[in-house]
Amino acid sequence: MNFTWSDAAYFGPEAVMGLTFLLCVLGDLVTRGRRHVVPFGTLLVGTAISLVLALLHPPVSSHAILGQMVVVDGFAHFFRLLFLGITFVTALLSWSSREIMGRDREHQGEFYALAAMLCFGMMVMAESADIVMLALSLEAVSITSYILAGFARFSFRSSEAALKYVLWGAVSSAVMLYGLSLFYGLTGATSYEGIRAGLSGGQGGMALLVAILFVMAGIGYKISAVPFHFWTPDVYEGAPAPVAAIFASGPKIAGFALMIRFFYVALVQDDSQGTLALLDDVQWPWVLAIISAATMTLGNMAAIRQNSVRRLLAYSSIAHVGYMLMGFVVLSANGLAAVLFYLFVYAIMTIGAFLVVVALNNRVSGEEIDDYAGLGFREPLVAAMMFLFLISLTGLPPTAGFIGKFYLFAAAGEAGLWWLAILGVLNSVVSLYYYMRIARAMYFTPPELSGRVGLAQAHLILLVVLAVPTLVLGVFWSPLKEFADQSLRMLLGGG
Amino acid sequence: MLIQFATVFVFLCLGLGFVVVSQVISHLIRPHNLHPAKQTVYECGEDAEGSPWIQFNVRFYLIALFFIVFDVEIIFMLPWAVAFNDMLKTLGAFAFWEMAFFITILALGLAYVWSKGDLEWVKGLQSRDLREVRPLSVLTSKDAAPHGRVKVSEHGG
Amino acid sequence: MLELADGGSSSLLTWMTFFPLLGAVVISLLPSRNQNLHRWTALGFSLVPLVLAVKLFMVFDRSTSDVQLWTQVDWIRTFHIQYFVGVDGISVTMVLLTALLCAVCVVASWGIQRATKGYFALFLLLETGMMGVFVSLDFFLFYVFWEVMLLPMYFLIGVWGGPRKEYAAIKFFLYTLAGSVLMLLVMIALYFNVNDPSTGGHTFNMLHMMAQANHGEWLLDPTIRHILFLGLFIGFAIKVPIVPFHTWLPDAHVEAPTAVSVILAGVLLKMGTYGILRICYPILPDAAAWFAYPLAILGAVNIIYGAMCAMAQTDMKKLVAYSSVSHMGYVLLGMAVFNEAGITGAVLQMFNHGTITAMLFLMVGVIYDRAHHREINGFGGLGTSMPKYTTVFSLALFAALGLPGLSGFVGEALVFVGAFEVYRVVTIVSVLGIILGAAYVLWMLQRVFLGPLNEKYADTPDINRRELITVLPIAALVIFLGVFPPPIINMIKVSLLNLIAQIPG
Repeated sequence: MNFTWSDAAYFGPEAVMGLTFLLCVLGDLVTRGRRHVVPFGTLLVGTAISLVLALLHPPVSSHAILGQMVVVDGFAHFFRLLFLGITFVTALLSWSSREIMGRDREHQGEFYALAAMLCFGMMVMAESADIVMLALSLEAVSITSYILAGFARFSFRSSEAALKYVLWGAVSSAVMLYGLSLFYGLTGATSYEGIRAGLSGGQGGMALLVAILFVMAGIGYKISAVPFHFWTPDVYEGAPAPVAAIFASGPKIAGFALMIRFFYVALVQDDSQGTLALLDDVQWPWVLAIISAATMTLGNMAAIRQNSVRRLLAYSSIAHVGYMLMGFVVLSANGLAAVLFYLFVYAIMTIGAFLVVVALNNRVSGEEIDDYAGLGFREPLVAAMMFLFLISLTGLPPTAGFIGKFYLFAAAGEAGLWWLAILGVLNSVVSLYYYMRIARAMYFTPPELSGRVGLAQAHLILLVVLAVPTLVLGVFWSPLKEFADQSLRMLLGGG
Repeated sequence: MLIQFATVFVFLCLGLGFVVVSQVISHLIRPHNLHPAKQTVYECGEDAEGSPWIQFNVRFYLIALFFIVFDVEIIFMLPWAVAFNDMLKTLGAFAFWEMAFFITILALGLAYVWSKGDLEWVKGLQSRDLREVRPLSVLTSKDAAPHGRVKVSEHGG
Repeated sequence: MLELADGGSSSLLTWMTFFPLLGAVVISLLPSRNQNLHRWTALGFSLVPLVLAVKLFMVFDRSTSDVQLWTQVDWIRTFHIQYFVGVDGISVTMVLLTALLCAVCVVASWGIQRATKGYFALFLLLETGMMGVFVSLDFFLFYVFWEVMLLPMYFLIGVWGGPRKEYAAIKFFLYTLAGSVLMLLVMIALYFNVNDPSTGGHTFNMLHMMAQANHGEWLLDPTIRHILFLGLFIGFAIKVPIVPFHTWLPDAHVEAPTAVSVILAGVLLKMGTYGILRICYPILPDAAAWFAYPLAILGAVNIIYGAMCAMAQTDMKKLVAYSSVSHMGYVLLGMAVFNEAGITGAVLQMFNHGTITAMLFLMVGVIYDRAHHREINGFGGLGTSMPKYTTVFSLALFAALGLPGLSGFVGEALVFVGAFEVYRVVTIVSVLGIILGAAYVLWMLQRVFLGPLNEKYADTPDINRRELITVLPIAALVIFLGVFPPPIINMIKVSLLNLIAQIPG
């Protein structure tokens, strides 16, 4: 476990984010929590530097660093960029949000420190190649998330959300740690590679199944897959809207990254012809396929009945996890590439939809669907963007969401999982209904008040920034697809 | 592999079995003397006063947390100190700076806690605590208490 | 099997498809106050495709079944998706119909007062979607256009529609999306099992999909082929609509504004039958032959059920809507028999029904603008107060009931001639539809235009010049094609012969 300075070069973006966290705390401390622009600026600058570092040195091969605990490869690079982007955008959208920066709020500066920590944790989650690092990074993200969920501590809902989140998180972390310890017990190794080597005898049996199920429970909680999803709507609704935007994108995507690396490195082997196969006779893809089916169906069915936009988006985010799991279970590079593609697109469109909630929350008191009545005539631009995000979430062309779903269905079809693909497309139809409830309120119902709502300039600009890729990636998406394919090459080829 | 875990299983069975067996045995051999005094919490005759479900001052938890954080720090530092001479040979000055960095981070945490006034037992009432609590907009909408489950109570301890 | 015509490359269709989209962008950038500016801009941008359509009519080579005026450009190379458009005899009539009806409908929408900017922008977007569907020869591109068209339609019904617009709009959207996602899955299945002969990779190219030699092993299993056919067919059947899937249609038609009803009945319904002819039949010809008899029965059910429902309606628009169901039944019946007369009749009927039903909806719109209701029993004797209107409406109604000399007759007659050779009983039952058709048409004519004049509508102004401009070109076409159908038949004939030649048995 020797540290070398060359490791630091590969770990640069992460190190910068860690430092950013410390500087944000220090900045908040020095200004005695009065000049919030200091931590905010620190976060933006830190994220930007980290982003530049990451872009300047894309990994050309797989590097295991920090005592083989962390692997920096194309896969890590993909998620690095994604997490840094998410952090940058959500920091900007929080800055103009009343729920974070309002006069009656407190500890505003800490928010940015926590965002930096969260980003750091998520990046490590995508890179960890050892179950110890897996648990550590997962906890780093979880603990930060708990604080963020309860950020508005004078709001009962926010406190309730934080408490629910903590309880669920604690239980599933414990279960997951137990599962990880079983892996250690079965193989005597903590690194993914070591676990794979230990399991290749194919003697796992019942203990392996239990271990896998327990680890799935921990990850399932993070990505809010059924049946570990119960916290999601309450937390998204109770936490401040910018925090909900972060939760719906960041930690969920990090959970996927972690899951892909763990399952595909530790539990799958590559027969050198590019075909992936299970190491053992434990059919975990089947379990996940059923979870996928249950997640999308329950998420969509529950979303239909929601009247609050936030809860609706929360359930829809659960449904999207179901779609993405579809690409995960097919055991093919195409399937994983589809998941990566979808994660990228999903981050854009879901932050976009939450951004509209954040922007409106500054001005409009309610968050029921009916409160959006007539928005299409009062704020044509915002409503049009919202509509774009909604159809993208539904998966209609010509938006990025359609292309993402198309690749997922194609991956399922290629693998012969037609029942799952059929369920997936039928769920898309169901989702259209509730997404269009928002569209209906915006466009078909006359507004109660007239005149513009008057939204923050920063939010409008950000909305456009998010809407452009949603549309452009729906028409021309080759670069992103190739990037996703390339990112996976080192992960799957390296085994 | 699995056979090694059998030990755990046996241990689990024995543990559960012990509980069940001892309960059953004591049920069988104990005298069945249903005196009202037997039903009290403390058989010595003291009556329990009030509900045990009281709220502790939240500061106890805070102090406990700080203690653990700074206590754990020692766990990291002690082995470092013991092995310092060996590490100097392999890592050089980095061995020193690594721990210096670690302590700086902890110091920053301490400074943060200090500046927030959390080290004071009687925390000065900050002006904002006296202000009327302004809830989020969500609370002003139709269903004020979320799902009607959370009772409105004083915050803090 | 379809081939590309040598040297037939042209950008004409691309212009026809995307010019309206350009118009939509231009309109959305105009100031929102000046409503006349929106109207004239929309008219300008919809007339250009019409002019190009005339050119298309001139240059189209009627002697070959090859794909003409094509453009083929790589779009997403890694997934073998191409921008590939072109027309053959089957699609060219639909392109002409779309261009014509869109231009007419912009004029018919002159009276729209609310949010004209959004209305015309969406309308032009809709035109792009429809054009795109008819010219696409890449399945992926086809699917994108197919879905793109749903969005403007949803808004056009939902924002500018009648009292139950929200219900009608979402119902339309859900039904059609449910159908198209099935199509999406079949598309994926075909993609992975069809090989591009030139590269050996997979392909979305419809021409490659049509060549049976390119089909992979999995795709050769008859059961699989039947399932795939069924998946595609249900997707298209919802659009047609074929009877168990038709319930969205009356709602959507009744609530939609006049011009949108015209597009809905005139063009959108044809997309369903066009899809069957363009995709189901040539890609899975053996499955088509296998399903022929059920298709014919469904056609007969559509004819009879639609006509009976139409007879029971008291709302004029609903009556016209159900008459569409009935008329699309003729198309389906004609398509189910794979002989020249039947299938030619079917395609001819697609075109003619597009024009006739457009006239009917426009005429219903005229009276609705004046009376603000469409109750058939609420009128009476309009023949005396609105003579010009009565003349035009009667013409449309007679065309709808299939009066010889008007275009509706030719298609229906050909369908029956073709069908009688193959399915006697089904055809005899279907012919009853003509009688029912005559019944509901004449009964409505009598209740609305004849009899004593309803005093309430004694001074209703007659049809005005703008309304006449919308309907007269179509009326001329209906009469012309009724006495001289060859201009259309010549265009479609070779392609259809080529199509039925591939269907076994």
